[in-house]
Amino acid sequence: MFMKRGKYKSSILAFSIVSGLLLAGCNGDDEKPSASTDSNSNSDEPVTITFWDENASPERTPLWEEIIKQFEDANPNIDVEYVVIPNKSAKSKYDAAIAANDTPDVGSVQTTWLPEFSIREALMPLDEYFDGSELKDKINASAIEFNKKITQDGKLYGIPYAQNLDTIWIRTDWFEEAGVKEPETFDEFFTAIEKMTDKDNGRYGYTIRGGAGGSFQLQRLMFAYSGLDYFGEDGKVNINDPKHVEFVEKYLSYYEEFTPKSDITNGYKEMIAGFDTGVVAMVHHNVGSYGEHKKSLEEGTFKTIPLPKTEDGKYVAEGGNAVNIAVFNSTEHPDAAWKFAEFVNSAEAQSLWNESTGQIPTNTDVLDDEWVQNAQHIKVAFEVYENPETKLYEPPFYLPDYRSILDNLVDPGIQQVMSGQKSAKDFLDEWATAIEESKEKYDQTFNK
Amino acid sequence: MFSKNKKIDRLLTLYIPLGLMLSFTLFPIYWTINTALKPEGDILKRPLQYLPSNPTVENFVYAWSNIGFATFFKNSLIVGICTVIIVLICSTLSGYALSRYNFVGKKGFMLMLLCTQFIPRAMMIIPLFIIFKNLGLISHPLSLIITYTAVEIPFTTILMAGFISNVPKELEEAAMIDGCSKLQALRHVVFPLLMPGIVATGVFTFIYTWNEFLLALMLTNQQSRFTLPVGLSSMMGEFNVNYGALAAGSVIALIPAVILFAYAQKHLVNGIGGAVKG
Amino acid sequence: MSYSQGFPETSVNNKDVVHKKKIKKEKLVPYLFILPSFLIILGFLFYPIGTVFYYSLQNYDVSAPYYNSFAGLDNFIKIFTADEMFIPSLINSLKWVVSEVGLQLVFGMILALLLNQTFKFRGLARAAAFIPWAISGVLASVMWSMMFNEHMGVINDMLMKLGIINEPMAFLASTSTAFGAVVIAELWRGIPFFAITLLASLQSIPNELYEAARVDGASRWKSFIYVTLPQLKNTIILTTLLRVVWEFNNVDLLFNLTGGGPAHSTTTLTMYIADLAVHGSNFGYGSALTVVSFGILLIFAILYLRLSRYEKE
Repeated sequence: MFMKRGKYKSSILAFSIVSGLLLAGCNGDDEKPSASTDSNSNSDEPVTITFWDENASPERTPLWEEIIKQFEDANPNIDVEYVVIPNKSAKSKYDAAIAANDTPDVGSVQTTWLPEFSIREALMPLDEYFDGSELKDKINASAIEFNKKITQDGKLYGIPYAQNLDTIWIRTDWFEEAGVKEPETFDEFFTAIEKMTDKDNGRYGYTIRGGAGGSFQLQRLMFAYSGLDYFGEDGKVNINDPKHVEFVEKYLSYYEEFTPKSDITNGYKEMIAGFDTGVVAMVHHNVGSYGEHKKSLEEGTFKTIPLPKTEDGKYVAEGGNAVNIAVFNSTEHPDAAWKFAEFVNSAEAQSLWNESTGQIPTNTDVLDDEWVQNAQHIKVAFEVYENPETKLYEPPFYLPDYRSILDNLVDPGIQQVMSGQKSAKDFLDEWATAIEESKEKYDQTFNK
Repeated sequence: MFSKNKKIDRLLTLYIPLGLMLSFTLFPIYWTINTALKPEGDILKRPLQYLPSNPTVENFVYAWSNIGFATFFKNSLIVGICTVIIVLICSTLSGYALSRYNFVGKKGFMLMLLCTQFIPRAMMIIPLFIIFKNLGLISHPLSLIITYTAVEIPFTTILMAGFISNVPKELEEAAMIDGCSKLQALRHVVFPLLMPGIVATGVFTFIYTWNEFLLALMLTNQQSRFTLPVGLSSMMGEFNVNYGALAAGSVIALIPAVILFAYAQKHLVNGIGGAVKG
Repeated sequence: MSYSQGFPETSVNNKDVVHKKKIKKEKLVPYLFILPSFLIILGFLFYPIGTVFYYSLQNYDVSAPYYNSFAGLDNFIKIFTADEMFIPSLINSLKWVVSEVGLQLVFGMILALLLNQTFKFRGLARAAAFIPWAISGVLASVMWSMMFNEHMGVINDMLMKLGIINEPMAFLASTSTAFGAVVIAELWRGIPFFAITLLASLQSIPNELYEAARVDGASRWKSFIYVTLPQLKNTIILTTLLRVVWEFNNVDLLFNLTGGGPAHSTTTLTMYIADLAVHGSNFGYGSALTVVSFGILLIFAILYLRLSRYEKE
């Protein structure tokens, strides 16, 4: 009996705690942007805008918080609510939000999403805002042009605040030790892989990204090797061009011979771990992973070099390797939203952001900053982007299934070639067919 | 001689197999804690350190103070506790109906419960989002509480039906013959016997809500409403994974669950003892 | 809810009338009991499930709304005639479910029986044994991918120290080990489910049954077979059924550890659906595949309940 009473008491206690929590949880929900209908945020009425960060990470969050703080200090009547979204789920989160018309006011949006989001009428064209802004002459013109070019209506839907570039990270100390030249051409690249491999000491010359995201890297290497456009003059896709077949055959044949066995399922984490733990001498990624290498490797033992040049000595880079600030159509405070977009692209904010994330600023005012001059990896990126000879090719981001072809067909295809289940030629033919079918369907829909 | 045999017997039928199973269970946990205690540079270093050579709590401090971990913790608790209560009430009732009564539509109801489990959750995100948007509940804890309840009820109902059918019907009937009302019989006879099942069901539900990621991410658009798994996942960036902080955050997230198990495991035994004697 | 308390049962005269009324009321009781559950499911799961069936007949791609149209049975025809992934992924699903549920049941049963004995620190051992269940998919994937890693993984390190292997293995990367490696990781997380349910059910077996068996001179093994198992039968049938459905649809470890690779060797049907629909946003075709897998699970559930003679005897 005694025990029982105790139990009832404790359950009553538990219940009241729970109701307390419930109440606490249900209160204060109405922090959502008040449904004030005035779109004129120049009035002093306080407004709240929501901002989605599409690539959450422990390093980026404090940066955004700092930028938002500075913005709010400068604009006391605007509150920015920051929401982090893990990179892997960002696209589906945006998809659901757009489908239900419940988008944020401002969002960080990858260039590859711009065509799709604009066709779905989720984004607000920014041309007028941009043309009337002092940003107009400061943001890298070719990046702006690129963003206009890829959308169906040719309008500007996102302002790029950071660019990226694929490069190769190398262990300089190992290269010196072995007396191997840092590769500048593909021949030298392949030779370096062979020479730097020392399996007895657990070292490999290179690591291939065979898992998630491998398709993007392979595509960039292929085009860097061939220097071709994505589509030929006859409108045919160049994916299965003989040069690409030749490259893929050689490149993937290095798997296991000169690269670790686990490469076949390597995602970003595993691949970088191979470099950072001192197993591989070279890894193909982009300038953005600088911070990660710095954590594990000593300064001066690693650096980044551009992707090897084509036979005729040109750098090749994939267009649209950038992230943008976009304003969503559903916003009730377009002016406030634009102000934030403008602020993120100010020299101050871009400098803070890109220095810490190791990415490439688009605001020309930042280029004179001391850190830009001293960062080896940023200088490499400029060397490539500023070189007038550099070839930028344009993948068809506008195809609705461009991304899913890479994820669902090309990624596994790479693994099949690596494991010898498929020939490089068959693999590239399938890839090309998929892109062509998709393009044909798209053209039929829009070129009526 | 006799006692020696007994000892060997205990060793073979209890301690050795239990030791093996527990080391399989606990090793990854140990490894997580080990990782959480290492400074960032040591985690990827070889040779591997089986004990951190420079133990530090900085990862824990970082995880706790980083982007409102305490808030995520509170949100998870609210959602978890509310869901458990509603789920337990609903599933005990419907579980009782399923195991004790024969009624028209019973099979249909069972089948309906099962059918809800046949659809991968990922396929339901957009329609759920639209429902809750129309109810004005996006980012509200109720959207998660309701969704989790709906998703868990089929499973817990079937589980409870199993537990209830294990309680001999005769005990209940005997109590009613002794003059107890149906409710009294339920409370004094069935409930105590059912306690292990209720605790197990409650634990399942709580753990599910505590760890659920996809729906929590999709139905919440406000940082201040995020639950723990969503908060944790923001520690894994595309370009940088803070293994130490992730491990530390995970260890923190584990604590309530461990306390819950420590509490629950008692009830997994006590129920029967009390009931048979009382 | 005082439906049964309002009737004094002492009066002999109107006992019959009361009895009849009671029967009528009794008939309503189960419906009242299932009502709250029924309403919640009806309100919040029917529409999402309905959309899956609806979209299975459509060309529906959230990222390309301009292609959306009625597809009739096209999606289904494609699944059965042109989809090279369908059968292999279904076979992987089968392998996955059978190995997971089978192993989890066996080890969960062993663990439950062990933890049901009395010994010092039993509470502690129980709490410890259940912990993996409390670990989220996000964390479990990170933990296991770190431990399986070829370069920095502790599993390789230990196996090499023990002299079992000579050089590091890429467990998640080889078509011969990837599947097994993920099975182990998921097994680790899944054993406690069976251990907890079975342990809870073990409690409701009256001690008298064991005593009777002991009096009859039954060995431990025999009393397990003839007393424990029959008593646990319904629990086992239901939990395995639930688990089959659950594991069939469970992709988080597969997704994070191998991503379905290498070369699709760990792509299950649900993994394939998630890839198509969620990451490729082709919800129409994904829905059609979901409907097919729905049918497979439904047929399985009905057959399983029939053949296992659930609630019979």
